[in-house]
Amino acid sequence: MLFHTWTFVLFFLIVYPVHLALKRTRLKLPWLLLASYVFYGWWNPLYLFLIAYTTLVNYVAVILMEKTSGRKLWLALSIINSLGLLGFFKYGAFVTDNLNALLALLGTSYHLPAPGVIFPVGISFFTFQAMSYTIDYYRGQIERERSLIRFATFVALFPRLVAGPIERAKNLLPQLRATPGIARQDVTDGLSLFIVGLFKKVALADYLGIYVDKVYDAPGEFSAPALVLATFAFGWQIYFDFSGYTDMARGVARMMGFRLMLNFNNPYLATGLGDFWRRWHVSLSTWFRDYVYIPLGGNRRGRFSTYVNMCLTMVISGLWHGAAWTFVIWGALHALGRVLTRGLERSAFYKERVPKFAKQLLVFAFVTFAWVFFRARSFGDARLIVTRILTAGWADPAFPLLALGLVLAVWCYQFVYESAGRRVLALAPVRVAVVVLMAVYLAAFTGTGVQAFIYFQF
Amino acid sequence: MQQTRPTQQESALTVPAIPYGSHEVRLSGRQWLAAAALILCVLVFAPVAWERIEEFEPGADYRMPYGLSSDYWLFDRYCRFAASRCDTLVLGDSVIWGQYVRPDQTLTHHLNDLAGRSRFANMGVDGLHPAALAGLIDYYGRAISGKNVLLHCNVLWMSSTRHDLQTDKEFHFNHPRLVPQFVPRIPCYRESYADRLGILVERTVPFFAWANHLRLVYFDRKSVPAWTLEHPYGNPAKGIGRGLPAPEGSARQEPFPWTDRGVARQSFPWVPLDASFQWRSFRRALAMLRGRGSRVFVLVGPFNEHMLEQESLQTYAARKAEIAAWLREQQVAHYVPPALPSQYCADASHPLDEGYAMLAAQLFECDSFIEFLDRASTQ
Repeated sequence: MLFHTWTFVLFFLIVYPVHLALKRTRLKLPWLLLASYVFYGWWNPLYLFLIAYTTLVNYVAVILMEKTSGRKLWLALSIINSLGLLGFFKYGAFVTDNLNALLALLGTSYHLPAPGVIFPVGISFFTFQAMSYTIDYYRGQIERERSLIRFATFVALFPRLVAGPIERAKNLLPQLRATPGIARQDVTDGLSLFIVGLFKKVALADYLGIYVDKVYDAPGEFSAPALVLATFAFGWQIYFDFSGYTDMARGVARMMGFRLMLNFNNPYLATGLGDFWRRWHVSLSTWFRDYVYIPLGGNRRGRFSTYVNMCLTMVISGLWHGAAWTFVIWGALHALGRVLTRGLERSAFYKERVPKFAKQLLVFAFVTFAWVFFRARSFGDARLIVTRILTAGWADPAFPLLALGLVLAVWCYQFVYESAGRRVLALAPVRVAVVVLMAVYLAAFTGTGVQAFIYFQF
Repeated sequence: MQQTRPTQQESALTVPAIPYGSHEVRLSGRQWLAAAALILCVLVFAPVAWERIEEFEPGADYRMPYGLSSDYWLFDRYCRFAASRCDTLVLGDSVIWGQYVRPDQTLTHHLNDLAGRSRFANMGVDGLHPAALAGLIDYYGRAISGKNVLLHCNVLWMSSTRHDLQTDKEFHFNHPRLVPQFVPRIPCYRESYADRLGILVERTVPFFAWANHLRLVYFDRKSVPAWTLEHPYGNPAKGIGRGLPAPEGSARQEPFPWTDRGVARQSFPWVPLDASFQWRSFRRALAMLRGRGSRVFVLVGPFNEHMLEQESLQTYAARKAEIAAWLREQQVAHYVPPALPSQYCADASHPLDEGYAMLAAQLFECDSFIEFLDRASTQ
């Protein structure tokens, strides 16, 4: 079920009043769990077995950690199980393809059959969330959750189920334990977040996606300006798409009395790559920081080790996004960028002498370049795009001015938001006008087709 | 990637201090009320105001532009216009619209000719099968209430399970936005639930039908974003200013008799009337019109009987008789015309100019039709 469909509106119109009625009763969690499973099972009821299985394994693993002496063993088994599931469903085809390529290279005629399994939407998100609970318990950072229903609701809570934010147990479980206090401000804030997310997704991301798809589906047919603009557009498309989903998720959760973490914080205003990763998909980057980078040693074992850990983390993060070498390269590019700029970003020269706007443009340019590998259908396509950007001649890119205008308007809004002019944006008439304009634009000018979210595939 | 471990939050903290967002779009309750009122004003008044901006003065023999057959907002507007000018609205599919004839050769034109004035309005819509007809009347034809209606019943829509929308295999039929979205279930209609719900909303909120009108008329049937992709440097607002397209003066298809098209005789696998979804829908449309105070005269056919194989012809005759019997039973004024001469038929159900002229003359010789008209003129 997608947030920007009438099905979800109907679903929420049923779920929400019942949630309000039950929030002080023992039926609160069963109702939330039922709603979450309906929400997830709407794609394919078979997915429910997977999420229930993941929930049970992590729940039981923590019980066994508490009751028995083999804490490390149960943690390891639980992690192997989670990663195994993820590997099977998400990376099965990728591994098979690569093994077959290797076998062919070795001259053997043996060919491994393709796994042929469906990819469950949002598997990476709920698997990581469940894993974080188990690891945090092992580290002694949280207490065991006694109620299976509460834990299952934590794993499956529908607003954030399929594309995050990847919430930590220490943030969400206490909220599930308490009676949600839903003030009027929560409802109005939730609505505000939702309409911004809806606008980002439907009016902006889907709009830009039309141009991006056209160019990236046949990159050999387009000139350098079109490829540059399509890459620029994709950078914004993926931001609007994913942050739009997060805004809607946070809005829905807020209306229900739950506060989810801020997942995007105007990432295209970042002044360094480190800053970018503190603003982009924050729940994932902090997840990798806490569960991969720091366990690898973090920055505690000298500069070289720090860089190695950073690179490993970024490459794994790239692979998390998709089972293809293009994602690995995307992660590696960011790793390389971080290694090369980490020292620079910390220098007094960069901090004090380089104009902020220049830093922002440089970071944006680098991040946009890396998106080529993220979006391209194959490594060959990515190479072709980069080559053509550098060598293909000029031709009219036919990029819609309206789209460009909308993107620049949002970018300007963000610049003003992070400047002294922010108080202008906070004026009540400005806020109301922005909401009215967004709502009218959505109602009048957007298309009728429903596009899924890009991050669902991860 | 951040470099340091975050400070551990208190596990008992129930409402963590989480930033609201990365923008200032955060409305209070009162501000939301103000925004909602403004949005409501736009939703309600934009279509109304648009009628003052967009000129629409249908002349004699006007018919909905063929390319705007699915512009139900325009149909609604035309309905209101026609209901205020003419005493009888002629409702039906492309047979009424006049697929093979010019606007001045349609049945409506010939009826007006014989009536001596513009009494009849051509409300024909291409591809309007009975299920869609019922939807059109229900959601976009409220202006018809209390008016006299000459309702065309095209038996072609019951000539096969496919026409009757009863096949299990999905196919794209005309006017899916007008058919029942959930109940009764149409087996060949496989739209997603989300889109079906969207259609229900569009029927309820005229703003969405108006927005669709803008897309159809000014943006080449596309959304504004899709339109700008084809006109990257075009100004969408400029396109809107150019007004409605002029009505087409020509026939949609070449006006040849069916025999000149190389069409062979057909054997239609007619659907039994009591099992026909389209027949049930037609009855629903009729009941709706009568329920809203309209006086209805049903025209059953015409149908190109020359095109039918003997066995199919017999079944058709039986269907016709059943329909006439039912209409009699319901005390609905009706006329079942005899077959038109073969050379006056363009295909299975569409007449040519001469066919329409003959049909109009037959109607004016029919007592129940004259009585229907007399009552109409006294209202």
